[in-house]
Amino acid sequence: MADFIKNTKKFFAKVKQSIKNFFWNIRRILNNGKRRIGKFLDKHNLNFASKFPGWAKALVYLSPALIVLSIFTFWPIINSFALVVYENYNMTSNTITGYTLFGNFITVITDESFIVPASHTGSSAVINTLIIVFISVPISVLLALFISAALNSIKPLKSFFQTIFFLPYVTNTIAIGLVFAYMFKTDGGLINQLLSFVGVDTAGLSWVESGAVYWRSMFVLIFYSIWASLAFKIMVFLTSIQGIDKQYYQAAAIDATPKGRIFTKITVPLISPMIFYILVTSVIGAFKIYNSIVALFGVTGAPSGVDYNLQSIVMYIYQFIDGSNAGSLSVAAAGSLILFAIILVLTLVQMQVSKKRVHY
Amino acid sequence: MDKKLFKKSNKIEKITFIFDFIAIAIYISLFLILFGMLELPEIVDGSMNLDILQFMEPTYYFLNATLDKLEMNTIISLVILFTLVSLPLLLINIKKVRTRTIYEIDSYTASSKFVQAVINLLSLNVVSAGLRIYNMFVLVKFVKGYSAKEFFKSIFPAVKAYFKKIFKKKKVEDLGDLDEYSVSIKQSIRRQNTSFIIRILFTYLFLITVAIVIIVPFYWMVLTSLKDFSGATLANPKLYISISQMNWVNYKVVLTALEFGLYIKNTVIVALFSTGGTIITTVLAAYAFARIEFKGREVLFSILIMTMMIPGELYIITNFITVSKNGFGWVGMATGENNYFIAMIIPFVTSISYIFFLRQSFKQIPESLYKAARVDGCSDFKFLTRVMVPIASPTIFTITILNVFSSWNAYIWPRIITGVGGQEGQKYWLISNALRDTAFVQDNGRVMYNLQIAASALVTVPLLVVFFLFRKYIMNGIGRSGTKG
Amino acid sequence: MELRLENLTKIFTNKTGAETTAVSELDIVIESGTLVGLLGPSGCGKSTTLFMIAGLEKPTGGKIFFGDDDVTKLAPEKRGIGLVFQNYALYPHMTVYNNILFPLENLDVPRTEAIQRVKEMANLVGIGELLDRKPSQLSGGQQQRVAIARALVKKPRVLLLDEPLSNLDARLRLQMREEIKRIQRETGITTIFVTHDQEEAMSISDKMVVLDFGIEQQYASPQSMYNNPDNIFVAKFLGNPPINTFEAEVKKGHLMINEHKFMKFDVPDGLYDVGMRPENFRATEEGFKIAIKDIFHIGRDTMIHFDFNGSNIRALVDSDNIEKGQKFVHLTIKSERVYIFDKKTGEVVNHG
Repeated sequence: MADFIKNTKKFFAKVKQSIKNFFWNIRRILNNGKRRIGKFLDKHNLNFASKFPGWAKALVYLSPALIVLSIFTFWPIINSFALVVYENYNMTSNTITGYTLFGNFITVITDESFIVPASHTGSSAVINTLIIVFISVPISVLLALFISAALNSIKPLKSFFQTIFFLPYVTNTIAIGLVFAYMFKTDGGLINQLLSFVGVDTAGLSWVESGAVYWRSMFVLIFYSIWASLAFKIMVFLTSIQGIDKQYYQAAAIDATPKGRIFTKITVPLISPMIFYILVTSVIGAFKIYNSIVALFGVTGAPSGVDYNLQSIVMYIYQFIDGSNAGSLSVAAAGSLILFAIILVLTLVQMQVSKKRVHY
Repeated sequence: MDKKLFKKSNKIEKITFIFDFIAIAIYISLFLILFGMLELPEIVDGSMNLDILQFMEPTYYFLNATLDKLEMNTIISLVILFTLVSLPLLLINIKKVRTRTIYEIDSYTASSKFVQAVINLLSLNVVSAGLRIYNMFVLVKFVKGYSAKEFFKSIFPAVKAYFKKIFKKKKVEDLGDLDEYSVSIKQSIRRQNTSFIIRILFTYLFLITVAIVIIVPFYWMVLTSLKDFSGATLANPKLYISISQMNWVNYKVVLTALEFGLYIKNTVIVALFSTGGTIITTVLAAYAFARIEFKGREVLFSILIMTMMIPGELYIITNFITVSKNGFGWVGMATGENNYFIAMIIPFVTSISYIFFLRQSFKQIPESLYKAARVDGCSDFKFLTRVMVPIASPTIFTITILNVFSSWNAYIWPRIITGVGGQEGQKYWLISNALRDTAFVQDNGRVMYNLQIAASALVTVPLLVVFFLFRKYIMNGIGRSGTKG
Repeated sequence: MELRLENLTKIFTNKTGAETTAVSELDIVIESGTLVGLLGPSGCGKSTTLFMIAGLEKPTGGKIFFGDDDVTKLAPEKRGIGLVFQNYALYPHMTVYNNILFPLENLDVPRTEAIQRVKEMANLVGIGELLDRKPSQLSGGQQQRVAIARALVKKPRVLLLDEPLSNLDARLRLQMREEIKRIQRETGITTIFVTHDQEEAMSISDKMVVLDFGIEQQYASPQSMYNNPDNIFVAKFLGNPPINTFEAEVKKGHLMINEHKFMKFDVPDGLYDVGMRPENFRATEEGFKIAIKDIFHIGRDTMIHFDFNGSNIRALVDSDNIEKGQKFVHLTIKSERVYIFDKKTGEVVNHG
């Protein structure tokens, strides 16, 4: 038995060696060929490869990415400026009826459900989005900060909690959104059941179905978006908190600094670049909220049978991309340019603020 | 330190793996056979009559035994439970045997072997349990020098000593003799301890609360996905169900009748190809930006960075025109002439943010490695594949994971392009579209939440499996990356 | 193989168009089989010179000859050189074995021979047992040896070492210094060794080149350079403790110190920079009497501080010749150990 094992081991070692020999020899032959070609080219002064400027070599490496990017990123940017000046652009026949400078922008801005709350819906895309941004982002950033600080201060079960808090990151937004919608059902929803346990009268207490009032369905939406976005923030904060030099904490401990002050005066300032970065990205992310709304309320963005809707800016834009109506793509382009402008302004403002506030 | 015993223990462990593996293979094949036997409602007029799903009382014949619905549910649940317990056990042990050195063995290792043996026993894997018990004795001998007999003899005194220690009364400290300063120090230490304990208590309380909020939707998802229709629509839903009540047939309905098998396949295809493409294009581009000197490199790079600020919604409008009839003609053509996969993959085979991310980690590789390789006659491409890529592999792995996740989450682009395809487009739905747009309704219009949630669970589970396999890499990678989507 | 540099020049141009001369018209012949130290303060262009020889930097002007071949425009991999970096530049994801094997992959070598060569080299540098480890599992000295083995495994015509010892601690540095010298002798390979540490260069080199701002200051064997420096820069750069320099006048063929005649010199009258090495002073019964300002006993030697023409001068003398509490001492120095430099050019005027 032992001999058998030894022999098989030897056999496999031999096989491994011969495979390696084989590849080595192939490489040798290829190298030889290359060398010969190189010598030949050198002899006849044809070796352009060595005379290639840097950009020619770079182009070879960049071209796959650049080709795709120019078709699907650069061209759309240019084209959307063209789209907004078209009148009645029809994508199936590829025709337009004329040009307009601000017509499409005016259509968007004066549209009842974009900025102005429409009389029949009582809400607008911009107001909805702003509410989501200004409530969900601060809460989730603060919560993530507290959680990561708490995680950093414990030792047993740390990686267990870390794993659990990370779970929402590895999910499908629509799938968990459906679960949330089911949990917030009026009849037979888990939340209402729990509320009735603590003595709240839940008869007809709607969250995401007909009969839900605006703030209740907005609460579910914000709750879900915080739940889903927390994981990423916790991970980033925890990584940067763990990167802080322990000496700061030792120095603070010797100076008898209370724990609360250590958090506000050492931890937060030292990771302020990361907090700022997360703030910027999550504001931008929240402005583009779409999947969560679709998951909770469907493509209409409203619980059935209510007189408002929870459409976000992006949702407003997407409703025009179906290609059937003439001119609708131009309206979508105008809407997305407005979104771009909003994001640009916000980024610039935050950059200015950060110059004063962020340490280092 | 007896090296022989250590080697022996490792050898036993390796033999145990074989039996573990056999057991898991049996569980999985048993699951597949039984899952395949589950009876579905009849197909009437080309669609399944799902209304009667919960009222069916099929009987199954398996290995000369007659099983009713409840018994079948129980067996499948147990098999799944056994797999869920044994598979991580096997993986953890394989990793441990590979990395453990002789100095890391302590009495904890021996006792963990005992716990593992009990788990094996509970999952009806008697051989592995026996081998692990044997291994435990070997480890006990290694750590303490006891043989099995001596070990049993030593248990009783050890337990006795332990209880003695607990019940031994604490000496009452007499503070009378001490001066004022010593007393104040003693008191301040006591105060410190109390405040420390209270702080730790609140920290854990806080973390546990958050953890519950995070976990509940997952629990509710799995629970609901196994209920039957009336169980899922009760006014007061049950917070738990017994294993005989677990309707695994829900998953079979979702996979076959509701075609989620097809949608998962679509998503996997899109995820694989777009991720593969992304890796190739971003690695090449990041290399050019990190290592090759050419005129206009910084300008080109800052242009790329600036486009990162532009929202993706802007692209989608024109991209839709580009892939449609008047552009490449991938979608919006007559039935049979469309290339939905290409339209879903090609626009996403590169990403500026990944190029940026990868360039950062390429730049961290010291310049001298490149010089050394040049002197050794290594071409640029060989240097990239043999040196840069292996060194930056954690980053590349993170990019892979991020990209797979975002493909798994893709909703709007597939919706737009399959939306113009009508019935044909529906065959190319990705899971997110399918989840949102499949009608999980009975003939009378009531939503079958159990099936809807089962579909949700079905698309969540693969992600969770990937996550638990590469937990550490993923969490570290995401923490460092600071980017999502 | 002989290595020749002819008028080698390197000028860097930065983004604003400003030019900096890193190496200026270097003319050196390195004989076959010698170990030449390239010495100078940091930023003097010694690494640039090395990288030009390696082919990693293109010279702005001048030529490089390996034997009779002009290799100035040849790609680095075709020059047949081995290069060892300051931080070793080992591939972190490969084992020691693969690190040493990697250069051979691109050469026309059968695999069995390649493996043989890897093992030979590993044994030569003394890392035969470490072949399965990753670089991160090695100490600094071991990594250094791997880097040398990787450079030598190709059987290069020239071995280039770029500050190879500066990342090691003091004790290891001494050991590796001897080790490199041994390996060089055993292989008989022409070697260029870049360092900013004059002691290291003097102990290891057969000949050394001192560079300052890219200009060659002197090219000679270590001892002759030490004893006969061409200029004040070389004199100041070599020796520890450093040479004493001070201003002094020569009047009527006599060097004047503290307004006394000190020694006779056959140089024109005028103001000069004078250099005297601390270790060249001898404490004797007669000689120049000086007042001791400060005194430090360092075991075998004693360091005495005193004033020459208002400059603080150090002398290193035998401890036996100094008694405790001594206030004055008589010192002598041989006239050929006194260096007189021209004030403008810095060239030595009383030697060769």
